[in-house]
Amino acid sequence: MTDHPDSPAFDEPGIEYDVPPDRSAAECDYCGRPFADESLLALHRGHEHPDEATESDRAAFEDTYEAETGQLRRFRLKSLTALVCLYFGLLMVYALVI
Amino acid sequence: MGRTATAVCIAVLGAALARPVAAHGGTLGGAARETATVPTWLILATGGAVVGASFLLASFATDREFVVSIHAGSRTFPVPGRRALVWAGRAVGLAALAAVLVVGFTGPTDPLSNTAVLVVWAGWWSGFSMTTYLVGNGWPVLNPWRTLAAAVPSVGRTYVWRGGAWASVVGLLALIWLEVVSPLADEPRTLATTVVAYSVVTLGGCVVYGADAWFRSVDPVARVFRYYGAVAPVGTDDDGSLALRVPGAGLTDDMLGGVDEVAFVVALLWVTTFDGLVATPTWETVATTVVGWGLPPEVLYPAALVAGFGFFFGVYLLAARAARGTANTFVAAPTLARRFAPSLLAIAAGYHVAHFLGYFVRLVPALSLSITAPFARVYPDVIVLPDWFGLVGIFGVLGGHLLAIAAAHAVAFDLFPGRIQAIRSQYPFIVAMVFYTVVSLWVVTRPDVQPPYI
Repeated sequence: MTDHPDSPAFDEPGIEYDVPPDRSAAECDYCGRPFADESLLALHRGHEHPDEATESDRAAFEDTYEAETGQLRRFRLKSLTALVCLYFGLLMVYALVI
Repeated sequence: MGRTATAVCIAVLGAALARPVAAHGGTLGGAARETATVPTWLILATGGAVVGASFLLASFATDREFVVSIHAGSRTFPVPGRRALVWAGRAVGLAALAAVLVVGFTGPTDPLSNTAVLVVWAGWWSGFSMTTYLVGNGWPVLNPWRTLAAAVPSVGRTYVWRGGAWASVVGLLALIWLEVVSPLADEPRTLATTVVAYSVVTLGGCVVYGADAWFRSVDPVARVFRYYGAVAPVGTDDDGSLALRVPGAGLTDDMLGGVDEVAFVVALLWVTTFDGLVATPTWETVATTVVGWGLPPEVLYPAALVAGFGFFFGVYLLAARAARGTANTFVAAPTLARRFAPSLLAIAAGYHVAHFLGYFVRLVPALSLSITAPFARVYPDVIVLPDWFGLVGIFGVLGGHLLAIAAAHAVAFDLFPGRIQAIRSQYPFIVAMVFYTVVSLWVVTRPDVQPPYI
């Protein structure tokens, strides 16, 4: 667990963080939570601190969210392919075996 | 997934699970086993594919508000005459305990005529357990030891043990070991003696530490029902009033205190597998070989029970650690283990349905006869289940998996700010779920044999 003596306490007491010594964390200015990169931090700010967020925070959130939506679209295409392969693969195996 | 695929999956799992699973009590089990015409490897592959496909389908739901709204919201409802119902529940619990002890020691020794055997195995461990995850956890009311403990003053020593829930884990494994190696379902006298021993330990614990502390921290039975209750549609709100919620909604709460309680969840999943594992021919071969090397049979069963639990738990902890990498997060591995573990309870509940629903229904006539005529030696009918009945168990298994995947999905969206990140965080846990499914399916597709050295 990391210590954030200067930052306010996390509002979710149940979550512990553990930053490996060889990694640097992007920390949230509002709650001190560490994130692996700036884009995750931007998403966090947009979701958890919509009222405190500055104009640039908001812009960063929207850009990251947009980029993530594109990634999601590609992910969905891949999972649809996987589902179709799984379905027809099993169907053919069943046809051959039984 | 298309309707054909679903039908194929159900048919395959149906063939796999239609046989009676190693019943608790050889003489109470034993119906004809249907043979599966599908090769085992294909059954295992299909089972694993069902879990994987459900996850892929769930990953299409990425709208944060939608994912949260599925499990959010519960509606409290008043229970008329709640106090009277609670008293009635306590009275039923006490009467059942008294009946188990009296008839267990003095009643007929034929297990199918003995109230103690039928109430404990058919009524309580099958029937009542099913109500805890299908309806809600009624054990705090029914629990006769809690009622008895309330009448006895407690010394009130504070229960302090740094081991947390490990006492319950050891207790659960010990109870299952006893169930597997001793003739608890065949010999009413042995069963009644075990109940006396459990009562002495439990009431002793309640007197020393207080009933609340004991049942919350140590007693494995209360913990099993409390955890199963998290799957159920009826739960309690913060103020104690009953609330209706979506089945599995309780699994998205941060309900586990630490990794020790995660261990209990995994133990619960493992013991349903172990029960069937010891009745497989493979186990017979392994056991004979190992005993041939000089390992005493008395050590074999507890050692296998603990080793298998360690393996299941290790797989889960590895998954939690791997999730830090796939999700690219700094959330600590113990937190991930804790938050995702409750979803496994739905899987455990699903397997419980598959193992025990048929067993329970077959024994309903014997159970009701033994309650109405506790001291008579009767020859009750055993309900012969129709062929389609196997499907009910399959829907239990599938339903459990769907609830588990939905709960894990909601937990991931609760923990992580990124949508892709939330999906990726689940990869290792889905792999672990596939592993548990394949192991369980493999166990239930083996032919039944009498466990060796028992």
